Amino acid sequence: MDRLAILLPVAPLLSAVLITLFAGRMARPSVARLSVGFAAFTTVLAIGLLTLHFQQPQSHTVSFGWGALYLDPLGSVMAVLVSAISLVVHVYSVRYMAEDAGYGRFFALLDLMTMTILLMVTAGDLITLLVAWHLVGVLLYFLLGHDLRREEAQRYAFWTFITYRLGDVPMVLAALLLYQAFGTVSLPELFSHIAETPDVATILGLPLAPTVALLVALAAFARSAQFPLHTWLPYTMEGPTPVSALMHAGIVNAGGFVINRFAPVYVHAGDVLHLVFAVGLVTAILGSVLMLTQNDIKKSLGYSTMGQMGFMFVEVGVGAFSLAIYHLIAHGLFKGTLFLGAGGMIGNARKQDGVPHDEVYTFVVERRAAGSRLPWLLAAAITVVVPFVLLGLSHWLLGGGFVGEQGAIILLFFGWVTGAQLLFATYRMQAESPWRLMAMIVLSLTVVVAGYTLMEHAFGQFLYPDSTLSQRIYEAASIPLSTFYGLVGLVTAVVVLGWLATFYTLANRGRQNGPASAFRLALYSLISREFYVADIFAWLSQAVLGISRRLNVWSRWV
Amino acid sequence: MTLLLIAALFLPLYPLSVPLNALLARVRSPVARFVLLLIWPQVGVAVLAQAGTAVPSWLVGWALFTAALYALRLLTCRDLGRAAGYLATSAIALTWGLAASASGIEQVALFALWMSLPAALTTLLDGMLVRRFGAAYAGLCPGLGSALPRYAGLLVVTVLAAVATPPFPGFFALLGLMHGLGSSAAVVVLLIWLVWAWAAVRLLQGFVAGTCREEGIEDLQPGSVLAWVGVLAAFVGAGFFFTGGGL
Repeated sequence: MDRLAILLPVAPLLSAVLITLFAGRMARPSVARLSVGFAAFTTVLAIGLLTLHFQQPQSHTVSFGWGALYLDPLGSVMAVLVSAISLVVHVYSVRYMAEDAGYGRFFALLDLMTMTILLMVTAGDLITLLVAWHLVGVLLYFLLGHDLRREEAQRYAFWTFITYRLGDVPMVLAALLLYQAFGTVSLPELFSHIAETPDVATILGLPLAPTVALLVALAAFARSAQFPLHTWLPYTMEGPTPVSALMHAGIVNAGGFVINRFAPVYVHAGDVLHLVFAVGLVTAILGSVLMLTQNDIKKSLGYSTMGQMGFMFVEVGVGAFSLAIYHLIAHGLFKGTLFLGAGGMIGNARKQDGVPHDEVYTFVVERRAAGSRLPWLLAAAITVVVPFVLLGLSHWLLGGGFVGEQGAIILLFFGWVTGAQLLFATYRMQAESPWRLMAMIVLSLTVVVAGYTLMEHAFGQFLYPDSTLSQRIYEAASIPLSTFYGLVGLVTAVVVLGWLATFYTLANRGRQNGPASAFRLALYSLISREFYVADIFAWLSQAVLGISRRLNVWSRWV
Repeated sequence: MTLLLIAALFLPLYPLSVPLNALLARVRSPVARFVLLLIWPQVGVAVLAQAGTAVPSWLVGWALFTAALYALRLLTCRDLGRAAGYLATSAIALTWGLAASASGIEQVALFALWMSLPAALTTLLDGMLVRRFGAAYAGLCPGLGSALPRYAGLLVVTVLAAVATPPFPGFFALLGLMHGLGSSAAVVVLLIWLVWAWAAVRLLQGFVAGTCREEGIEDLQPGSVLAWVGVLAAFVGAGFFFTGGGL
């Protein structure tokens, strides 16, 4: 059965080759049937391999020439996710792309992309990983720029391509450092070498493990749209919808995957994990802010993905590696559904909006206030007290080491910031029955936090059966208790300040229609220009092109 | 030293790279340019073998400078034939890095071949385009992806091979080179590789994307396409066989 694993990347490759060779002579339905058939076969195979892994939970390496596939829980789960999403995207594309001139080319590229991602998630050695890592960027460029006549599609496909290529540079460097240190490209062998001799030095006397961990993290930042390498993501909507779905549901998650793949390296790189946490946090906040200020629904979705990727890196940064994988699977499924369902939803809404005329509708759409709402002070108190109770309960249930090792910060950020945001919104909502609404919010918050904790535990046991490894990752990511409490205090202060601002706004409702302050205008222009990040990159690239032109003129083009 | 300088003409180091590029600009026949780009670096490798001395480290620095310079210049080169020359100059200059890392002369010759063959094939594609449009200038004849899909497909794959995209041998050869050079020089090679990719996409967008202004232009025959694909497949196969994954 292990040898069958080679068919995982081979089946979609075969489909792409057959379509390329015979697309001119085949009718469109035949092209689609062929591609969907191979995609279905790949999915069944991936599910079979995962089932086999449940029966015989040992990791295997399958070699082919100079390359190798590595079938461990992480690779097997990711293979199922990738092949299943690919199958759905294939089926969706059959009709969606029906009138497209490059029908065969699109399916061939889709198959090649599926092959490449499967190769990436099951790569057992550095060479296979590098080849797949690089090819994902190249193929994504051609998929995003599938419509050759649309200038915007070409421009933003290029943005994606160049950012991905930037991410390839640290990845190749990390591979070279690992090979130079241990003389092997096999991932399992490399990880066991690192476990045996973690203090090996590399270039400039730097410690190998943290250096490699940093380089892999940099590659992951570019691949998963972390600040400031995020500008490509919101603009990729110019590509065909199935490609957007595939990208937002699968490809963009590669950053979280690769950090999980190199988990044994991160055991010795606590500082890098803290950096990952900080970058993830900044990305999550900026992604959410930019999402809220967009007037373009597609860009808004793009920034939503950026925020989610930020949360995923926050999870990695606190050592909850398996939770990050759970998050990327959950996000992949709901974001894929969102993209694929968007067209039908818009079409239906043109005939009948189907929106229930309840409290949410009257508040959000009709801007109509009615009924009563909770007293301001009580709502504020709930926002501060409930997370404390949840945190304390979790602490009490799961033992004293919980704060340091179980990523309690995640609970704070997911449970608290998201919960506070929800409470802010619903406080302004003025519902008919505010107590019932508040109770539902608190209940759903508890379910989310408890569900996430349980899922992290169960999923962690599957992905990392060696509990020592996950324990050591948590230890590497842990921060001093004083810092943790400082962070808790900071978040509390931010939430309390938010409530004070709400109170101030309500108390001065009459002055809301006056001219905005210079600060607010500056802030608005900063956000509306997306923090000028894309402008800075554009300026830099124009400067490089200017130098190139001058050099050519000066050397008379020889 | 004299032999090394002669080798620097054939494994071109700036400004000794000027004759090769001037020659490529002057020669009209695509086949002649193809042969020139294949033979020229092999002459350099033969001279290097004749010299029999270790390559000094300053020559490696000079080679990296040449490769970076031509990669940078490639960014704004819109003429396909000239771009093939720049790319070949940038890529072949890196041969010095492999020669300096005590590799056998056969490996050095193969490296030069991996780096020059796709660029040489690009000059043939340039000839095909010049025959159809009178010039092969990016932006001047856009929309080939729709107007000449077979030609455009070959152009894309060949240019990707020329900028060392996996699974073409250039990628594995670069990995081997970076391993031999050490980490600091590897960073420079990686940046050069990045600029190649940037330039390649700029060039391809100028040809493949957009709308073709001319009508009735004949695409390549399926037989020619198959032969071309066969050459590229053999190139990939040979790369797998000889480079063994690169590291």
